[in-house]
Amino acid sequence: MPGLIQETKLFGENIPWLQGLREKGLAAFKRQGLPTAKTEAWKYTRPRDLNADDFIVEPSNFLAEIRAGLDEAGGCRHADGNCSCGGHSHKSGCSCGCHDCSAEQEKGCCQGHEADCGCPEHELDLRTELPFEAYQIHFVNGKFIPVHPALPRGVEIMTLMEAVLTDEAREYLGRLVDLEHYPFAALNTFYLEEGIYIRIARDVELDKPVVFINHSETGAENLFYNIRNLVVVEAGAAAKFVEYYKYGGDPKSRYFANIVNEIFVGHGAQLRHYKLQNDAFKAGHVALNVVRVKEDGRYDAFALQRGANLGRNETKVSLVGEKAGACVNAAYVMHGWATLDTTTDIEHLAPCTCSDQLVKGVIGGDAKGVFQGKIHIAPGAVKTEGSQLHKALLLTDTAEIDVKPELEIFADDVKCSHGAASGELDENMLFYMQSRGIGYEEARRILIDAYLEDVINKIGPEEIRGWFRGQVK
Amino acid sequence: MSKTPLLEIEDLYARVCDKEIIKGFNLTINEGEVHAVMGPNGAGKSTLSYVLTGKPGYEVTSGKIRFRGKDLLSMAPEERAREGIFLCMQYPVEIPGVPTMTFLKHAVNAVRKHAGEPELDTPSFIKMVREEGKALGIDNEMIRRPVNVGFSGGEKKRLETLQMSILKPAFSILDEADSGLDIDALKVVADGVNALRDGRRSMLVITHYQRLLNYIVPDFVHVFADGHIVRSGDKNLALELEEKGYAEFVKEK
Repeated sequence: MPGLIQETKLFGENIPWLQGLREKGLAAFKRQGLPTAKTEAWKYTRPRDLNADDFIVEPSNFLAEIRAGLDEAGGCRHADGNCSCGGHSHKSGCSCGCHDCSAEQEKGCCQGHEADCGCPEHELDLRTELPFEAYQIHFVNGKFIPVHPALPRGVEIMTLMEAVLTDEAREYLGRLVDLEHYPFAALNTFYLEEGIYIRIARDVELDKPVVFINHSETGAENLFYNIRNLVVVEAGAAAKFVEYYKYGGDPKSRYFANIVNEIFVGHGAQLRHYKLQNDAFKAGHVALNVVRVKEDGRYDAFALQRGANLGRNETKVSLVGEKAGACVNAAYVMHGWATLDTTTDIEHLAPCTCSDQLVKGVIGGDAKGVFQGKIHIAPGAVKTEGSQLHKALLLTDTAEIDVKPELEIFADDVKCSHGAASGELDENMLFYMQSRGIGYEEARRILIDAYLEDVINKIGPEEIRGWFRGQVK
Repeated sequence: MSKTPLLEIEDLYARVCDKEIIKGFNLTINEGEVHAVMGPNGAGKSTLSYVLTGKPGYEVTSGKIRFRGKDLLSMAPEERAREGIFLCMQYPVEIPGVPTMTFLKHAVNAVRKHAGEPELDTPSFIKMVREEGKALGIDNEMIRRPVNVGFSGGEKKRLETLQMSILKPAFSILDEADSGLDIDALKVVADGVNALRDGRRSMLVITHYQRLLNYIVPDFVHVFADGHIVRSGDKNLALELEEKGYAEFVKEK
């Protein structure tokens, strides 16, 4: 498999537990290889195009920053390359495009730099693109941009490598990912480095959402990058986490983003997780969200996929404590030749747990939609409720939808349901609108928007709901 | 006073799924006139209304239709609507997920744009809908709901009438406007329709029964059977029909 496994120097290779995890990831990926048509979990979504040998894994930013710090400052204030700064306490003026931002935290963009300093923040409008207040974290082509939002007490956001160095991540990193069944997550584990760590302390209710934005920009061509995020919501805490994969470079650029989020929802805690995948139309985007929800905890998710040539958003939720609950909703809108895959696996492992899923898609052109939804109810998980509904709107004769619902029920006294439907735009509705003067194309647009309205309405916070509503149009 | 023809139908033949339904239909409607077309079930009344509005699947095999002198058959359904043709449907379509207000606004602005008028902003639009809706007993709650979804038969017909009132079409086709209506609702709808009669707007009222014509009094009545008009007269023809039934007229041909 040339292309996806590449020799690269990563930060923290001298940290045994981290390096051990990477090695396990590599071994697990090698054992499994890329999924093929015979791989049940990938039988509808063939990742062949991701097996290209011209993908480029860029050198580590973290190591580059440390080297640059040594060169420019005539020796970093830290003893050696293994310093505990995570690569981010640099002298201003260092060539890494990064600096100590504490003074500019409020503004979210560095001043003090020359316009041509090459600092990526200068080329990107990092502030104005969301219609709601948020704590924003920015990545460009899979690399962290060191601008930290000012945070209230009880909330920590840092790079994953900082969390590794401070030992915060050790308790969580890799704990939820089953490397033997998720080849891309195994690969992601091999490349562990980029990503963020978010921790919401016990009983803290975060006022604004944390928004992770990955900008695919010029230079994304042929890149293969891995991002690993860790989100820890401690007991009684509540937060909103938004992922936004935004593309702004060459519309034809082909790259492969391989994302894993490990999410821990504590006792009585709540996480609302929203994702917008709008990658370039030739890109690959494979994401796995693994979530563990403890007693009385709640995980609410909505993911909208509308970009990429091959996009997969897979969510595995384990409801491990009594009365834990999850809503995993999703939508996709696609044209051209794309394949967009929404895969869910909800494990009810404790009594009185509940889950609900609504997934809706609009498929045009020669595109293919895939929905695989599994509900597993373990022995003893009595008085559990699980429901799942998938609906697709096919706009052309060549659009395709593949659906695989699975229920595995090993407990009595449970309520479980699933359903799937697909159809076309209703000719009578179109004619009714036309007969009132509304143009055919406009009528179609109105009906397509209306089709997704109920799943968009599942998004609780009004400002985020409005943003997504604008994005499906 | 010379009359200006609004709609001219000449020797029209049309079919649905290879079945000829309209056979040699002729009718001219001048500005300001209200015509009623009455006929038995299966005569092709609804087909006529769909042919006039351009519903897909209704194929004209020969004949001509001119609207204000323009060739109607070459126009898409939305163009016909923008030119001023409105069909008050027998069975209005439900559109889940689309609020009635949004739907009305798209329709009104599409028609206004075509007429070279500026699009209405939301406050003036809401004001207009409220004023027109009041007379029809349509409240704000109703227009916030998705189009026709969960509406009773009477509510659907009132919404059709509201659309007619705000789009102000030059020519309205009322297809069985009285079906499913009780007598009070019928009066409300008829009042709405009559309010549009200003001596210039024209109407084609399609109905089985004479009853509706007590409320919307036509200038002309035509008996429609086997795909064409078998007899024409004034409003008294409707009364005659009510008395004798269709059988006698159908035989006349």
